[in-house]
Amino acid sequence: MKQIKRMLRIHRIFIAQELKRMMEYKGDFIVGIIGFLMVQCSNLLFLWIIFSQIPDLMGWTVNEIIFIYGFSLIPKGIDHLLFDNLWSIGHFTVRKGDFDKYLTRPINTLFHVMVEKVQIDALGELLMGIALVCVTLPSLSIEWTAMKIILGIAVIPFATLIYTGIKIATSAIAFWTKRSGNIIYMFYMVNDFAKYPATIYNNAVKWIITYVIPFAFTSYYPAKYILTGDNPLYNIGLSVVISIVLMVIGIIIWNKGIGAYESAGS
Amino acid sequence: MIYVENLRKEFKKTIKEPGLLGSFKSLFHPKSEKIVAVDDISFEVPEGEILGFIGPNGAGKSTVIKMLTGILTPTSGKCTINGKNPTVDRKSYVKEIGVVFGQRTQLWWDLPLRETYGVLKEIYEVPEDRYHKRMAFLNEVLDLESFITSPVRTLSLGQRMRADIAASLLHSPKVLFLDEPTIGLDVVVKDNIRNAIDYINKTEKTTVILTTHDLADIETLSKRIVMIDKGQNVFDGTISELKSKYGQIRELHFDTDTANVEQALAYAEHFGISDDVVTTETDGKSVKVRFNSSVVPVSDMLSYTLGKINVNDISVKDADIEEIIRRLYKQGVQDEEKA
Repeated sequence: MKQIKRMLRIHRIFIAQELKRMMEYKGDFIVGIIGFLMVQCSNLLFLWIIFSQIPDLMGWTVNEIIFIYGFSLIPKGIDHLLFDNLWSIGHFTVRKGDFDKYLTRPINTLFHVMVEKVQIDALGELLMGIALVCVTLPSLSIEWTAMKIILGIAVIPFATLIYTGIKIATSAIAFWTKRSGNIIYMFYMVNDFAKYPATIYNNAVKWIITYVIPFAFTSYYPAKYILTGDNPLYNIGLSVVISIVLMVIGIIIWNKGIGAYESAGS
Repeated sequence: MIYVENLRKEFKKTIKEPGLLGSFKSLFHPKSEKIVAVDDISFEVPEGEILGFIGPNGAGKSTVIKMLTGILTPTSGKCTINGKNPTVDRKSYVKEIGVVFGQRTQLWWDLPLRETYGVLKEIYEVPEDRYHKRMAFLNEVLDLESFITSPVRTLSLGQRMRADIAASLLHSPKVLFLDEPTIGLDVVVKDNIRNAIDYINKTEKTTVILTTHDLADIETLSKRIVMIDKGQNVFDGTISELKSKYGQIRELHFDTDTANVEQALAYAEHFGISDDVVTTETDGKSVKVRFNSSVVPVSDMLSYTLGKINVNDISVKDADIEEIIRRLYKQGVQDEEKA
């Protein structure tokens, strides 16, 4: 308990530090916000163009597809917002020997890396996801039960950790290969498939996003449960199990990787 | 306090043929070889000592420091510091040590310096009242006041190094590791930093391990040195021991009006020795002759020189530590021992 309190406190301090850092350069900060709003507007326009062209698909109505799409952006956005710094491990932190810093501090290295930065850009995805879900909900005639509401919300942190777990495992490969940015990218980009109902793909793709790189459990399956109320044990339960398994695998690879870390000459 | 036993670190290195083609080949048929960066190093450091840890570039100094600070996992052997194993008890261990890598910084680059200390206070769980006392103390020793509100990126190298040393001392560590803390600094700042290290060592009994290429750091701060080369321990003892063991090198200084002293004296020919054993440098009238007194006794050297040319103001000096170490680095210790 004390440990968790301390971690939350450190997380808060790092976030405050990041916000101060962004505001240190005022011009960049303001232009960043303007750019951010422009990107979000163009994304919205782009989505509107896509979804206004899509007919009903494999038994899914347009609104249901938008709901799944929106739902998929929520865990992705949360992971992107809070734990984006893992990318830097794959790109340069290990290669340049900058990982030394984390090892000389009395905090868990993985935790330290994960919470050191915040990626404000990710708020776009997150807000867009929430907005799409909220806009489509009234027209979906969902039968609401208490369990649905609870499970629908409770699954979000687990879905987030599916992203995080995959990022931890793939970034930690850099401890051996010195660089794993492209590996993270390859795995991470599979999530694009998970924005749409898994049933619209052929079996190979469906199988991959369900069992190999299980991004479908961050969006399609939980969203399907909310929409239809089908099989919560599979749609929600498996999301939880998969996220825990991926996190455990990620942490094991990470901890092994620290033993293999070679630093860099200085 | 610090026990290092048979420490060894191997790295695997992929061998590539040169050029783009070589890179392609290595992508499909990787060849690798084992590099031994640190080979069977042992030493001890008692509490409160300042140990100078020296060796030429690439000798394995940083690798040893990185194993001692828990950054690298040793291939074999072990180190115990305060009864802890750096890689096994990492989190509790690093609370008791301070680390400064002169070539890197742990300060928050974009923010005023003060912010770094605020965060480190939380990371190391320094209580509020102790933090204020500590900051006052560090400010007094390292004189941070004038730049503590400036963003770190605007600090000069000397200021940054002082700030980094203060950051490593904030949590009152028992052991301080300094990897080249005076690199690239001017004489005055070097002096300040040496004084600060000395003061903290004396007042707080902090054990210090210091690597440096500036031997003045070692001479002013540490009584004992450990020297390594090619990953192996080549000398462990006090500076005076180093001088008596390898210090047969003497310097003869004199002034003369004779032109072309080198030819006039021709030491190497006269004593029948190689040019390595005796070297002559002239600068106008003043001449400096460096020679190995175990090969040519000082008395022979003096009487021959005085008999051969007209000399004013002659003196014989012990070689300074820098000279000894220059020879050791250049020739390797084995050669030196044979001589």
